[in-house]
Amino acid sequence: MIEATFDFAALAAKLGPKCDALIAQYERPRSALLPMMHLFQDEQGYVSQDAMRFAAGLLDITPAEVESTVSFYSLFFRKPVGKYMLQVCRGLMCELRGAEAIMAYFREKLGIGHLQTTGDGLFSYEEVECLAACDRATCMQVNLEFVYDLTPTMIDDMIAGMRAGSYPVKPLMQSAQPGRTWSVRQDGEVGTGGKSPGTRTSSEPNNAGGVGDSSGIIMLDSFVTKDISFTGRSRERFVRDARGVAEIIEEEGSQGNGAHAGH
Amino acid sequence: MPVTKILTAGIGEANLRDINVYRERGGYKQWERAVRELTPNDVFEACDKSGLRGRGGAGFPTGRKWSFLPKDVFPRYLVCNCDEAEPGTFKDHMLLEETPHLVLEGILLGAYGINCHHAFIYIRGEFKRGYEIFMKALDEARAAGLVGKNLFDKGYDLEVTVHRGAGAYICGEETGLLNSLEGKRGEPRLKPPFPAIAGLYGAPTVVNNVETLAYLVPILERGADWFAAAGTERSKGYKIVSISGHVQKPGNYEVPVGTTIRELIEIAGGLRPGRTFMAVQPGGGSSACIFEEHLDYPYDYESMAKAGSMMGSGAFTVFDDTTDFVKAAFNLIRFYTHESCGQCTPCREGGSWLERVLHRFVEGRGLRSDLEMIRRVGHAITGLNLCALGDSIEPFLLSVFNRFPDQFEARLLKETVQA
Repeated sequence: MIEATFDFAALAAKLGPKCDALIAQYERPRSALLPMMHLFQDEQGYVSQDAMRFAAGLLDITPAEVESTVSFYSLFFRKPVGKYMLQVCRGLMCELRGAEAIMAYFREKLGIGHLQTTGDGLFSYEEVECLAACDRATCMQVNLEFVYDLTPTMIDDMIAGMRAGSYPVKPLMQSAQPGRTWSVRQDGEVGTGGKSPGTRTSSEPNNAGGVGDSSGIIMLDSFVTKDISFTGRSRERFVRDARGVAEIIEEEGSQGNGAHAGH
Repeated sequence: MPVTKILTAGIGEANLRDINVYRERGGYKQWERAVRELTPNDVFEACDKSGLRGRGGAGFPTGRKWSFLPKDVFPRYLVCNCDEAEPGTFKDHMLLEETPHLVLEGILLGAYGINCHHAFIYIRGEFKRGYEIFMKALDEARAAGLVGKNLFDKGYDLEVTVHRGAGAYICGEETGLLNSLEGKRGEPRLKPPFPAIAGLYGAPTVVNNVETLAYLVPILERGADWFAAAGTERSKGYKIVSISGHVQKPGNYEVPVGTTIRELIEIAGGLRPGRTFMAVQPGGGSSACIFEEHLDYPYDYESMAKAGSMMGSGAFTVFDDTTDFVKAAFNLIRFYTHESCGQCTPCREGGSWLERVLHRFVEGRGLRSDLEMIRRVGHAITGLNLCALGDSIEPFLLSVFNRFPDQFEARLLKETVQA
């Protein structure tokens, strides 16, 4: 179904001029990293190691810097995914209008869960955060095209259409066979795709100082138990009253010592 | 009903994506007038005098934000923030897709107002369709000589670059956005220095929301006084309110600032028949709920602060008596935990901690000691982070926790209740 080896050199040669054009848009080359990765993902179906190395070479940064950046963004897939990326909104406003039932229906129909791909490589399924279409909840994206006001019948038709190849949204490129999930887990992480293991590795978050990222838990625990009073909390600074930046800068300067004295 | 169509005028009636349609309706006239007849300072004065405040959430006066740019330091940049992802907000999404030329004209005017020659728009990765629509609009505008070099033969150059994000709520925070625009992880920066002093590539930068910039067009067309005449004493003008949740006609409604909460609910068709009002979250996922006693409060920055919440980005979510507030709180906390960039311990650990405690409640396994724990952890997170994301975790949770304690009590583990 899928070619065993993907000719990355040919793709790089094809996209090279486009990458140069992207770099030329910005005062500094590295700004072109995200657009470049979009370009490669569009052509290859995911952001491959090859693509990241290629970008690192063009931008004169290390592959590690590229991967560190790419891994920050949930729309970059670092492993192959299905031809149809089904991203259903699990935001609160969709939940108020029945998203849970819609998500359960998807899971049942596809036989897979959050961040998983079907065995035939056709569908990938993810429950995503608010998609900014709350007036037409419940909503989802199929390969980033919006579908609004979901009903079970629509889902049936959608899945049948995709299986038959008649669904109006173009399938994603697929240059390699997808695995069960595209979520890349770091060593030791037992969480569910969070950005930092932190307390997620602790079996009992209330039992601070035990397992997991103990320094973080101890620090937070000390905030909670000692009830330290901090001055210049950021919410008051940035949200509660809209004061001038100059005043805030001035205040920060005078408050710097005070905040530390709180310890 | 006080619905006033200004930015939303023509949406749903005309194909505003077409530059010819947009121009027939008076589009780009203000841009041409600005470059031909006005100085950048004139545009700044109009913006400042109108009392326009940032529509992205913080409500900072736009003119003042511009005024912090150091004089005569170049290059400087304007960045339009279209990374709309606050739970419940969907106005920029609509503006971008339905009236891209208005968005562009706003950016052009803003760039001229701060006298910069390179503007950016950062579009949320999920808005792929919006990105394509905007790219086409930009191409049309460039072909029509509205963007580029020596505009209207007045010697003013302005380039606009479209930058697409890739899925990270935190990139809506202005310094996180700038890092992302520089091709880095979208982690917020320590402030000060504020972007006005050291922003994109270390140069003075203004980051403004889509809606904020778009309002520059009618402000220049009808005058700062016209804009300032609407609204309340300190919250001037108009606002697109994204009304969602338990109302009959959810949608974007443009109203004068200061329309009451009750009127807004009515505008959106009211509650479903037979349902009772419980709460409104008036400023997106980050804001505290307000309740029945606040129904006659005007929807403006000051009144919402007085009610213990905020107007934020204008996301207005209505909850009726079918709402499970424990689940709602869990949902929002899960969101902030998921979107925390992980730099600051209180936000990263505290969010995760609260999420797990609340998950116990959702499953009916809450512990009595958790009730006090929720309150204290919530407070321990707030205000100790680089950006406002960590501070967004507490407000909704505490507001519903204080208001509907019985909903939380009912989810305690049975043995604990008896003990």
